[in-house]
Amino acid sequence: MSKSIAREFAKGLWSEIPPFRLVLGLCPVLAVTMSVENGIGMGLATTFVLVGSNFLVSLLRNVIPPKIRIACFIIIIATFVTMVEFIMQAYVYPLYLKLGIFIPLIVVNCVVLGRAEAFACKNPILPSLADGLGMGLGFTLSLSLIGAFREVLGNGTFLGLQVFGDAFVPFGVMVKAPGAFVTLGLLLAFMNLVPVKK
Amino acid sequence: MKNIIQMVVVLTVLSGSSAGILAGIRVVTMEKIEYQQLKFQKEPAVRKIMEGSGMDPMAGRFKIDYQGRKLTIFPGEIDGEPMAAFETFGKGYSGDVGVMVGLSLSSGRIIGMGVTTHSETPGIGSKVKDSPTFVDQFKGEPVESGFKVRNDGGGVDAISGATITSRAVCVAVDEAGKVYGELKEQLLPTKIAAKDGSHE
Amino acid sequence: METYIVMAVSAIFVNNILLAQGLGSCPYLGTSKSMDTAIGMAMAVIFVLVMAGAATWIADHFLLKPCNIEFLRTLVFILIIASLVQFVEMFMKKSVPSLYAGLGIFLPLITTNCAVMGACLMNINEEYDFLTALINASFLGAGFGIALILFAGVRERIILNNVPEALTDTAIGLVTAGFISLAFMGFQGLG
Repeated sequence: MSKSIAREFAKGLWSEIPPFRLVLGLCPVLAVTMSVENGIGMGLATTFVLVGSNFLVSLLRNVIPPKIRIACFIIIIATFVTMVEFIMQAYVYPLYLKLGIFIPLIVVNCVVLGRAEAFACKNPILPSLADGLGMGLGFTLSLSLIGAFREVLGNGTFLGLQVFGDAFVPFGVMVKAPGAFVTLGLLLAFMNLVPVKK
Repeated sequence: MKNIIQMVVVLTVLSGSSAGILAGIRVVTMEKIEYQQLKFQKEPAVRKIMEGSGMDPMAGRFKIDYQGRKLTIFPGEIDGEPMAAFETFGKGYSGDVGVMVGLSLSSGRIIGMGVTTHSETPGIGSKVKDSPTFVDQFKGEPVESGFKVRNDGGGVDAISGATITSRAVCVAVDEAGKVYGELKEQLLPTKIAAKDGSHE
Repeated sequence: METYIVMAVSAIFVNNILLAQGLGSCPYLGTSKSMDTAIGMAMAVIFVLVMAGAATWIADHFLLKPCNIEFLRTLVFILIIASLVQFVEMFMKKSVPSLYAGLGIFLPLITTNCAVMGACLMNINEEYDFLTALINASFLGAGFGIALILFAGVRERIILNNVPEALTDTAIGLVTAGFISLAFMGFQGLG
């Protein structure tokens, strides 16, 4: 039993890591990963929502009538998203200002709804929690990685600290939308080179 | 039939408890959020207005009652002249536009102001914020003179494409004028009042 | 009138919701493999975006604001969009079957398209009045559609070529999207 829970957790970090293996939830990936800090913040906010919604969906899985399950999932997810909004405003206000409308947009992140539909509504609470936590942390990892690439190349900094000397001219395009698409595409290709053990 | 009842019940209970929980969390975090907004949205505006003030406007802030609600006053003084800054609101398209107005308490003239936008989701704020020339029109004018945008027969040039917001700013400044007119005495920072001892 | 033209140029080219703001990329990659699905999705998005823009504006101004429950905005908006999509689907199936045959399968996907939700939130944040909000929503939708159709055109050609194995499918799609987005950055000089 504990072995399978560990497996549910670990799969989110490598074999099914979103958004590389599961190509879902691209909007926040593309839109907010201008810097590592944004990546981590967005990733953790999404993790909170994922864990919360997976827990509640799994808890209520026998109560929710199948016909209206999507509507119920959406209510649950939106509740957690609004909670995150409050919490971020109360404790990390500058980050909240930077992420702006992308916090409410977690509600339409397909990773969250996807996990509720594909996993949590069919599995007991503990594996669902593990799944949510794993997926969330995997997502955070990916976002920070993309954020790191874009920040280092596009701004010459890492977490706000200068990494190159003055001679380095940042390619500004990396922190704009095209940089996001290209970075994600190339990282995805790189991930494809590394096979997943079945 | 039983299915439909179940659906309705589940949906109702779910949305009801969701709204309830959120309202609860809102109450718990409200004070914290208010402080954060004060620190990150209002403090820069206050600091800019009060540049060169002998006392710290954030540390000296206090609240007074105005028309049944609390108004936070940021006191300051330049060259011994007392000033106060506080935020008032005007109706914009969506909710209120907040304006931090800084006044000289002896002359009643505006010494500086900044748009703070209060209820809006930040990130994509209103255009007024990025337009210093608009805000500068108010500088040095007596706060009680009554402001109107040119379209309404006043003397304030509205920002193109943001007439309603510009109008909201005028309303907010007029509101500040009313506060000044009615509660002049209470705007004086308590520390200064206590120091010269004339308010026994 | 002039402001609307500026708005159109801004929404379609300069601040294209997809290529400049990165919203709505899931359907962008998912439905761009053939021209037919791309056109279907583009039409469905424009349609739903305008309807959702109207519905959320009304809800925000007549329900959330007066009751002082703006903190429920996220919850209410997503529910409106989800039920609107469902409703449009049912309505279309019954009364305009020909249209349903074309757009029907894309409708459920739109619920989780963040371009729709994003555009509605932007309309509220930008403090637009009702008419402006509607016009802005339709231009944002049109921008999304143009980007999607352009991309589908490029992608149909890529499928015919030899692509390194690791880069196939989504990876090359993203890189291509990056270049289209780069091309659209040229429009920023207009602003």
